[in-house]
Amino acid sequence: MSPDKRTVVIKAEGVSKRFGTVQAVDQVDYQLYENEVAGILGSNGAGKTTFFNLLTGYYLPDEGRILYQGQDVTRMTPQQRVSLGMMRSFQLTSTFDNLSVIDNLVLAFFRAHKSASLWQLLINTCRKHRKDEKILATLASFDLERVADRLVKHLGLGEKRRMEIAMEILAEPKVLLLDEPLAGLAESEIKGVLDILRQQVGKQTILIVEHKISHVQDFLQRLIVMHEGRIIAEGGYECLQNPEVRKSYWQIDDSASESASASADAGEVS
Amino acid sequence: MNALKWWWGILLAFALLGVSRTFLPLPFMNEVVIFSIYAMGCNFLIGRVGYISFGQPAYLAFGAYACAFYLFYFGTNPLVGIMVGVLGGLVVSLVIGPLFVRLRSDYFAMVNLALAVIVFYLTQKVLVDITKGDNGLWFMTRITSTPGLDLTIPGQFFIFALIVALAVCAFYKYLDDSIYGACCLATKINENKLQFLGYDNFSIRLLAFVIANTTTALAGAMYAVYLGFVSPEMASPSRAADPVIVTLLGGVGTLFGPIVGAIAYTGMKDVISKLIGNWELFIGFLLVFIMLVADQGIWGTLAPLLEKLLWRRKATLPVATKR
Repeated sequence: MSPDKRTVVIKAEGVSKRFGTVQAVDQVDYQLYENEVAGILGSNGAGKTTFFNLLTGYYLPDEGRILYQGQDVTRMTPQQRVSLGMMRSFQLTSTFDNLSVIDNLVLAFFRAHKSASLWQLLINTCRKHRKDEKILATLASFDLERVADRLVKHLGLGEKRRMEIAMEILAEPKVLLLDEPLAGLAESEIKGVLDILRQQVGKQTILIVEHKISHVQDFLQRLIVMHEGRIIAEGGYECLQNPEVRKSYWQIDDSASESASASADAGEVS
Repeated sequence: MNALKWWWGILLAFALLGVSRTFLPLPFMNEVVIFSIYAMGCNFLIGRVGYISFGQPAYLAFGAYACAFYLFYFGTNPLVGIMVGVLGGLVVSLVIGPLFVRLRSDYFAMVNLALAVIVFYLTQKVLVDITKGDNGLWFMTRITSTPGLDLTIPGQFFIFALIVALAVCAFYKYLDDSIYGACCLATKINENKLQFLGYDNFSIRLLAFVIANTTTALAGAMYAVYLGFVSPEMASPSRAADPVIVTLLGGVGTLFGPIVGAIAYTGMKDVISKLIGNWELFIGFLLVFIMLVADQGIWGTLAPLLEKLLWRRKATLPVATKR
């Protein structure tokens, strides 16, 4: 199916964000389609995390607006966005280190199935939800059974990342927004996390911000590349061959090499 | 069976407190039990939500004065007085909570200390007509006997205080195990994550503030009934650190820490003050020593050792369910 005929889940219209004199995101238009796995790539400082934070409500844009399934969510609180079905992760592993692994999962699971009113929080116990089949199954599928009762602060980085993604998947969002979920992981752990994410393909819309293309090679269905706060290329992996992308992302200056070879040719001729 | 397992620790602790009454002086035991309730509120704030407050005497005074006003000016039933004290603490917490819980760490600690100063001067100088200033309100002779447990008799007051403390302790135990308790711990260390999971940090903190300070007001009302007297000294900023010290001494965030801390602090105060003139100085040094040697507090240090001793559990990495 052509992307244009698919349902747009998240739409950014002319979104900008400035920090002091730095224009972090500059008039960006973007569309995320239902059930696709999309990526935002770019070098350090390209504006991808700022743009991601604007999409998820962490920052308020200076200009432009964000639509979620046609509804303007620009000024909605993160809680309201979660209620609509958006869930995000953070670049640095973000967990509740003073709780056990299973209680982290319980908090994510509970929010997906019950309202977060104080009354509901008070009348429900963690003890009851720790036995929930879905939580137990998630522990097993993410290979976290062994450490279920352990405090998160005693986990390794790979286990924490797996647990964080398990939380997001347990929360059953319609859109999963992941900010560098593979950062700091060993190669074997990256494979494990991608295997888990592959199971979600087709079930959820996934948007991944990633710094290194090698991490998500063959996983993304569509990607955008950002540079200096703007989208400089969009499409499949072939867009990485775009000269501007090669220059900004890989620091390969085709025009310089062309002129060098031209002058070399000219030298040979002369 | 699970319910029994859940309750037995609390019942045992309070049974031990009850038995202690037979060989320890009654005034000491009454003070320990009321101080335990006082420290339970503070322990919840520090241990669960990460709020250190140096203004707890203010909330203690709100409860005590609300109870005292009732018993001095309006009625004679001490149970009604205690309920009025609790209501007073609840209302005050609901009014100032939305302002205070927006602050974190040192700002929260200092704004509460400022409140304690305000309450101290209000009761001592500004509202002299109704508080009687430094002379305080005396109402012991106005308190009437209550059916069942007569709160005018210290021995029966102790049983009443023990039951109230047990109920408060059980309530906090329940909160610890609730989703709300987990949310409190979560907001303590990672409010962003909790927010992006769809929970409201503000209402979670506000409720914690209200619960903790209403507990403190309950302790204040019980002090008022037990002593038959309240004075501005109760809100004195010089006593601002007492509940925090007891909480740290007992073990922050542990269920029995406030009780152990109250026993240790009151005990040290009673014993040492009889032997040494400047007892507060000595206690200060002793506290510094204890904090350096056992930064988990007395119960926080003893509990894992007791568990190993009693259940001979294998030494594993700490798990979250241990208490």
